[in-house]
Order: sequence, then C-alpha cells, then structure tokens
Amino acid sequence: MRLSVGGKILKVVSYAFLILGALIILFPFFVTIITSLKTQQESAESFFALPSSFYLENFKSVFQKAGYFTYFRNSALITITSVVLIFLLDPMCAYGISRNLHKPYFKIIHYYLLCGIFVPFQVVMIPLVKYLGTLHLTSQLGLIIMHVTFASSQAIFLLVNYIRSVPPDLEEAASIDGCTTFGAYWRVVIPLVKPMTMTIMVLNALWVWNDFQMPLIILNKSAETWTLPLFQYNFKSQYTYDYNMAFASYLVAMVPVLIVYVCAQKYIVAGLTQGAVKT
Amino acid sequence: MSKPSARAVASSTNGMKRRNRVMVLFTLPVVLLFSTFFTVPVILGVYYSMTNWTGIAKDYKFIGLRNYGNVLTDKRFWNAIFFNFKYTICLVIGVLVLSLLIALAINQLGKSSTVFRTIYFIPAVLSLVTVGLIWNELFLRAFPPIGKALNIGFLSTSLLGNPATAMFGILIVNLWQGCATPTVLFIAGLQSVPKDLYEAATIDGANAWQKFKNITVPFLLPIVTMLVITTTKGGLTIFDYIQSMTAGGPAQATEAIGILIYRHAMSEGKFAQSVAESMCLFVIVAIVSFATIKLSSKKQVGDD
Repeated sequence: MRLSVGGKILKVVSYAFLILGALIILFPFFVTIITSLKTQQESAESFFALPSSFYLENFKSVFQKAGYFTYFRNSALITITSVVLIFLLDPMCAYGISRNLHKPYFKIIHYYLLCGIFVPFQVVMIPLVKYLGTLHLTSQLGLIIMHVTFASSQAIFLLVNYIRSVPPDLEEAASIDGCTTFGAYWRVVIPLVKPMTMTIMVLNALWVWNDFQMPLIILNKSAETWTLPLFQYNFKSQYTYDYNMAFASYLVAMVPVLIVYVCAQKYIVAGLTQGAVKT
Repeated sequence: MSKPSARAVASSTNGMKRRNRVMVLFTLPVVLLFSTFFTVPVILGVYYSMTNWTGIAKDYKFIGLRNYGNVLTDKRFWNAIFFNFKYTICLVIGVLVLSLLIALAINQLGKSSTVFRTIYFIPAVLSLVTVGLIWNELFLRAFPPIGKALNIGFLSTSLLGNPATAMFGILIVNLWQGCATPTVLFIAGLQSVPKDLYEAATIDGANAWQKFKNITVPFLLPIVTMLVITTTKGGLTIFDYIQSMTAGGPAQATEAIGILIYRHAMSEGKFAQSVAESMCLFVIVAIVSFATIKLSSKKQVGDD
C-alpha cells in the first residue's frame, strides 16, 4: 500500500488516539471486575491491584442477601411484556395510518400521536404519579402500560415512514385472493416491515430494561416489584460501606445486557442509531 | 369493456367499507392508550399547575397562575435553569467534538477498525444508573489516590464533592456514555461521502483541511443538526446521572430542573408548584428545539 508520510503520521495518531479512548472506555469495567473479586481489606490496601484469589463472597451476598434474581425476573418480565405489546400494537396502527393518510381521521391521529415526540417525560412525570395512583396502577402493570404508551410516538413515526415506502400491491393481491384485511396485514405486511419492527423492538427492549425514571416514580414504594436499575439505586444507600459488594452488584446487573450486545451487536447498533430521533 | 354488475359494485363498496372499518380498528388500541396515559396526564398537569395542591392534602382549590409567578421568582428554579443551560452547552460541544474525532479516526483505519467500533459502542447499552453509580465510586475511590500521587489539586478529592467541579464530573460520565451512538452516526455519514469527490479534489490540488471543510462537512451537517437537537433535549432533561451520583448536591450545585421537579413533588410537598415547573420545562424544550431546527436549516442553505 502506498501511503505518504502525512498519511502514515495520520494513521499512527489515529491509532494512538483510539487506543487511549478505548482504555478510558474499558477502565470502569476493569475496576468493576477486580473490585468485585476482592475483599474489603484487599481493596483498602490497594485499589488497583489485581485480586489475589477468586473471592466470590461478594457475588454470593448479591444473589442471596440482596435477592438479585427477584429484580432480574421483574426486569425481564416487564421488558418482555412491553416489547411484545409494542410489537402487537404499533405496526398495526402504523399500517392503518400509512395506507389511509389521505383520509382526515388517519391524518389527524397521525399528527396527534407524533406530538408525543416533543414532550419530555419529566413534563408528565409528576401528574402521572397521582393519576396512576387513582387508577390503582402504581404497579408493574402500570409501568408496562406507560412504557408501551411512551414508545408509541417514536414507533409510529419510524413505522409510518417505512410502510409508506412498501408498495401496497402485495396486500391488494392477497385480499383479491380472499385474504381478510387482518390476514393480509399479518401474513404479508408484517414480514415486509420486519427490519423496522426489529429495530423498534431492540430499541425499546434496551430502553425499558435500562429505564430508571419511570420505575422510580411508579414502583419505588414496594421493594418486591423493583427493576434492576431501581434495585441498584436503592442498594447504593443500603450498602454504602461495602463497596466491593456494590461493585459485584453493578457487574451482575451489566452482564445480561453485555451478553445480548455480544450476540446481537448488529441489530443493537442499527436500532440505537436509527432510533436516535428519540427524545 | 363490460359494465360491472350491480351486485359486484355493491359487494366491492361493502368490502371497502369493511376494510376501512378494520383499518380504524387497527389504530384504536394505540390511540386509546395514548389518550388515556399521555394526553390525560398532560391536561391534568396543566390543571394541577393552577391549584394549590400539596400532593397529600384531601382538598385543594384553583388559584390561577399564581404557581407560575412563584416559579418565576424562585431563585432555586433559575439556579436549576442556569445549571441546565451551562451543562447542555458543554454537553453538546463535547459530544459533537469527541464523537466526530473518534469517527474520523476510526474511518482512517479501514478494516482494522472493528475492534474499536465494538468497544466504543459498549457504553450505549448500559443503564445510566449503573454507569452513574460506578463512576461515583471511581471519583470517590479511584481518582483521589492518582491525583494525590501526581499532585493534581482538583483530582485529589472527589470531583463530585466540590460545588465548583461537580458539574464536570457528571459531564465526564455523560460523555463517556453519550458519545457512543453519535460516533456510529458520524461513521455512517463519513462513509456516505462518494470517494471520487475526494479524488477529484486531490487532482484539483485541495489540501486535507479544504477537503474536510468543503466535502466532508456538508455531508455531515444533517447528522450534526439531529445530534444538536437530541443532545440538547438530553441535557435539558438530565436526571438519571444526577440522581444516582450527587442527588443535586453539593449545596444544590448540580440541581438540574428534573431533579428540582422531582424533589419539590416527592419530598417537599410543593406538588402544584413542581407541576408548574415541569410546564415551564416543556416550553423551554419546545423553544430550544424549534430554534435549533430553524438555525441549523439556515446554516445548511448558507453553506451550499
């Protein structure tokens, strides 16, 4: 390869810059791993030294005393249910809108639903607490409903644009062949818009899994319903003296997402970048 | 062409009607959810903001715009707004500069960049709270020994514990995580530039800076616009990091508007006032987003 001197220098500088940056990115993970494997005394002696042995008591306490699995199950349940509901409801609505945009009803609800993009969550946060209280929905069910509701504006925005780029010929052919409207939607449209629904589901799975504000205002009072981020937040104030255990809890909270990231990197990167229009 | 029979016409208009009805049904669940759990709370919020409700008391009465008057004369509110603007400006500049630099560097490398791409994107999948808590410990326990050893004054105690530096502590964490997605967007933008444009410019004798300014930048401008808007919104509504790191302290130095709203409503019994604050936040976010869109669309035209 022919490279000018300037090009070579640029390449070396790029490498140096990226390696330095990568070290900064990885540093917190390194500290989290070594600290979670050390005793308090070891950490007090030297914060950065590697653990002298595989000390697993910190993890044991997180799993047993703190009840990590309960919160993991809560988070998983809330995430899966929300994402399934989003998959069932949003593409259907977007399909109805995008095939009828010339009709007043559909045009109006299209704009109506898009309004949600412009309103930050904090604007409704406080009235929502009282409102959900009166409806007896300060529960995991209420949280799921809120996640599905807040996901809809962005999902409709992305899906309507996407479906409009898909010609209606195939569905029309299907209905001429005797398919019902729903049948044509389910068998023809859903497979066609799969790339965008995948994007939206990945995006929302990450958002629901990592969300903190909504669980904080909806679930904070009953500890057995907490999600992982909420557990982390409350765990901090309970075990502030034992930071080795705290680091163990951070590590076990990150591991599930990191595993998913390694397995589905392509979808996750695509989802987060396409969904960057979000709040 | 033979005329379609009367029956066929009737059945097809019936079919159309049924199809139309099904299409309306398709949209109903989302419209109902959105109305019940988004529109109603917004309207309730507007109403609550004009009452004197403490959030706990059984009865309350309508007091008009008095809460808004209280909000606008409240020092804490302006302190929070000032914090948010300062923070947002630093955040937007930081995110744009850092992620553009990373993207340019990664784009230089060609094939060997996969490892870097994977590493640089990791923070984007993590929960803000977990990240905030980990960095909190780092600021408290990892950096002070380094600062003491190297004799760097501001590092020898926790950045977050000092009112003068706490904002920068939060900013560092936000940048650590917040550059991941913008970097990927910039890389995609850089790769959308046709190679022959650069070749043509090289033949015409353009230097690297001229090529960057006149070819690369115009291709990146739409991404910059979008990032300015989303990052601004993120900065104005910042909550998770602050709640998990400083909870607004020390001495209200990091009390962002989101934190103030939360505190007023949840622990200080000023429910109605906090709702009025959130309405003000909405107006600010709307104005700022609108202004950014206006300004950046003008800039694009000018650069052409």
